[in-house]
Order: sequence, then C-alpha cells, then structure tokens
Amino acid sequence: MSWLNQRVDDRLIHGQVVVAWGSALRPARLYVVDDQVAASPWERDLLVSAAPDTEVRVLTVAEAAAAWEAERSAPGGAMLVLRDLRTARALVESGAAVPAFTLGGLHYAPGKAKIAEYIYLDDADRSDARALLRRGVVLEVQDVPATRPQGLMALDPAVAP
Amino acid sequence: MRRIPALLVTHADLGAALLRAAQQIYGPVTDVAFLSNSELSRADLENAIRERVSGWTHGGLVLTDFPGGSCQQCGLLAARGNAGILVVTGVNLPGLLDYLHNREQYAVAELAERLMTRVRDSVRVQQARPE
Repeated sequence: MSWLNQRVDDRLIHGQVVVAWGSALRPARLYVVDDQVAASPWERDLLVSAAPDTEVRVLTVAEAAAAWEAERSAPGGAMLVLRDLRTARALVESGAAVPAFTLGGLHYAPGKAKIAEYIYLDDADRSDARALLRRGVVLEVQDVPATRPQGLMALDPAVAP
Repeated sequence: MRRIPALLVTHADLGAALLRAAQQIYGPVTDVAFLSNSELSRADLENAIRERVSGWTHGGLVLTDFPGGSCQQCGLLAARGNAGILVVTGVNLPGLLDYLHNREQYAVAELAERLMTRVRDSVRVQQARPE
C-alpha cells in the first residue's frame, strides 16, 4: 500500500487535503515536506493540528528523501504534500523515486501565468517541471478527487522537456 | 467597554454572505471586514490577514469557517506574537449575530469563549411533532 498521492499545493494541509483527499484516500500518514516549516516547532504543531485524524509528519527534503523507500512498504497508506515544484524537484533529485505529482494548488503571484483555475506558473516553475518530466515523473493537475486529472504538458506545452 | 473588531476569513464568498445575512437581521454593521481565501496561497493569505489586523492595537477576533482549513491556519500565523488577537473557528450566522450584539460588553478572550459556546449550541437536531 503506502504512497497514495504526492501533491504540490502552496497551502500545504488545508480543507481540500484533509476533507476531500483524506476522505477519498484514507491515508494513515500525511507527510509535509518543507524545510521552512520543519524548522519551526510552532508551525509544525499548527499543521499537525489541522489533520487530527491522521498522523502528520513534517520533514525536511533530505529527511523525506531518506524516508521514501521505507514508507513504500509500510502498512496503511501515505500522502505527501509540498508547497512548490522547486521542492518537488529537490525531493526527487535527493533520491526519492516519486513516480508522479498532482498539482493541486499553485496560486497567483506576480510574474506567474494562469495554466488552470488554480495553477499559475513562471519560468522557474516550468524549469522545475521540465526537470521532473525529463526524469519520467508524471505531472498532473487536479484539485480534488471529484475532478478529472489533466496532464500538465497538455495544459502548458511550454513545460515539454 | 471598547468595541472589539472582527475579520471574517472564509472559503469562497461565505464571509461576505454571512455578513449580508447578519445585516438583514441585525441592521447595518460597521467594524467587521471580510476576506476570501480564493486565489491566495498560504503566504499571501497570511499577509492579507496580517495587513487587515495590523491596526487592532487593542486586539480583535479573526472569525474563520473551517477547523484545519487555510483560513484558520493563516489566521493563527498572522496573529502570531499578538496575544490580543484570537481566532475563532467554525463561525456561523448565530455566532456572528451573537458577536454583533456583544462586542462592546466583553473583553476579547471572554467574547471568544462566548462565541464558541454560542456556535456549538446553535447546532441542533430536532424532529417535528407527528400529526
């Protein structure tokens, strides 16, 4: 069982993750991979409190890469969430054999272009996406389980490797 | 007692709709603002809340809709370091109306506690009397 979904979402744990994906996938563990949050006990506790029915583990990229293989064979399912494509790329380049990421929420910021209703990318994001695609990582856009996943390349041909 | 300000932070247009509904029952409302999390990242929502509560020198209430959601978490992140700002989550129309009627009667912590109780008590299951 183990890895059920790996999500890129700049809100990390929030309603869509806990209610929509949590209800659909029933993960036993929820990994948040974020160097900044992992360094702050208070922010870690805040994220843990946001998903009271699931075991939340807040790890640095290096810690998550080291834990990836062991989690694959762990009982129960696990979901992973990280805030941007840069972190997704760093996780993969640190050795985690992540087969796919679901882009669930990358909101507007100056310089970013709209790819989907809830996905905005700039050149740096596209560069990270391209690097992941070159490694064979599948990138799909999907906010909640009830919507249809769409390939990132179909929505934004500029990310093609 | 000084009036306690509030900021409604919710998903979609819920905050604006709650305030409109409250005004139909209470009348014109001042010192309550609303903010939607739509289109905002975690960092941007936190900053937007911080900007709106920065003038609350005597504290206030951030009222959010959903435990564990981005509105609640970003409210707490924005209020970090300011003990006078409390986040009340799960706010509904009875809770908002109770806030409006009592925001000049209590200190911030007491009002927050009262709101939590009022919101909880407003959820009821009832069955109509059989014919």
